[in-house]
Amino acid sequence: MHEKIIKVLIAKPGLDGHDRGAKVVSQALKEAGMEVIYSGLHKTIDQIIHIAIQEDVDVIGLSIMTGAHIQIVEKLMKKMKEEDIFDKTVFVGGVIPTKDVSKLKELGVAGVFPGGTPLSETIEFIKNNVKKT
Amino acid sequence: MELIKKVLQGDEKSAARLISIIEEGGDEGNRAISLIFPHTGRAHIIGVTGAPGSGKSTLIGKLAVSFADKGRKVGIIAVDPTSSKDNGAFLGDRLRMRNAEKTEDIFIRSMANRGYPGGIAKATAGAIYVLEALGKEIIMVETVGAGQSEIQIYSLCNTVITLLTPDCGDEIQLMKAGLIEIGDIVAINKTDNAGAEDLLANVAAYIEQHKTKSRQTRVLAIQADKGSGIENLTDALNAHFSFLNENSHGKDLKKIKLKTFMLALLKEEIWNKSLNVLTGNERFEGIVKKLEKGEIDPYAAAQMASEMTGL
Repeated sequence: MHEKIIKVLIAKPGLDGHDRGAKVVSQALKEAGMEVIYSGLHKTIDQIIHIAIQEDVDVIGLSIMTGAHIQIVEKLMKKMKEEDIFDKTVFVGGVIPTKDVSKLKELGVAGVFPGGTPLSETIEFIKNNVKKT
Repeated sequence: MELIKKVLQGDEKSAARLISIIEEGGDEGNRAISLIFPHTGRAHIIGVTGAPGSGKSTLIGKLAVSFADKGRKVGIIAVDPTSSKDNGAFLGDRLRMRNAEKTEDIFIRSMANRGYPGGIAKATAGAIYVLEALGKEIIMVETVGAGQSEIQIYSLCNTVITLLTPDCGDEIQLMKAGLIEIGDIVAINKTDNAGAEDLLANVAAYIEQHKTKSRQTRVLAIQADKGSGIENLTDALNAHFSFLNENSHGKDLKKIKLKTFMLALLKEEIWNKSLNVLTGNERFEGIVKKLEKGEIDPYAAAQMASEMTGL
């Protein structure tokens, strides 16, 4: 058997309309041999959960530039618990101040990759952190 | 299998997981297919094919909402290509199905074709069975969209929509074998663009020449993004499905399609087994060396290798 292909959802929650970063990351993960589903802009947390369930992804990557990352992640984690999909690895990218990284990790985010992080770092992280089922 | 029980009770999460297991392609997936297959065979399976950018995802999104509004339960499988360079895939169909995504009960699943030929993935049929077991009555399959060789979709679906746009080429393109042949319905999209009337006339003429008693292709003009022509199209889809069910020809066609699909799977199976025999085999490597040195031609090399598989 060949090794399991990692499926990733790259999602844009909330109101910011900047998705260059999300697209660059999507492309890089695709080139690293992953199957990437891009949500498109302006998704609610409920929609993101809905997509993650239907697509049965291993990883959810959130791209957030609004400054509302703490609130968004809190809401996502609560919903993931409710839906019992805590087996999925969550990472966050975008505009994230260093001071918030530990808080995000406390909430259950596995990795934080602010703008400027080398793409290879994100790829390595995902390959090493996908929770095997 | 506990998972299958839950799928039959309508649990989306279990259906999604079961599709992943089938995609993995191992024994567990094959066993699951055998267990759910008895629960299938009634849904209307609709394939949508057409060139990249012709509007397949947008159309499927609109059709899905239209069917859901009428109380039908809808599932969607959207296939995109796996890169032959890096084995990854960027699955971008569902983001064009915004309204469908917001509609309760519409199940959308993206799927990379993982190198399988014919416009679909190997697991697409399995996923169709899962969605039907989940209770979906209308299941739409979006092909990769490579164009002229997407024949596999024909054997998986009851009705195939071929989507054309005014910029798809001239009459000569239509005369080539391929897309139009597999369409039960030919939908001309982007009819607000120049050239739409000519295309419509050309396609209509082509179809008039090729119609038979058992196969009467419909031609419809639509503008998928604006939602115009969608109601006509759903009517045409329903009419075609009734036609198949009421007609003895429809039953024969079902048998032919099942066999065609089985043969396609068999081809894959034999190919994989042959590769296993040949990979790393010394004699095979010798044939490749001779080919590389120009001592034999590729046809002869393939013939020699094929004899080695013992088939």
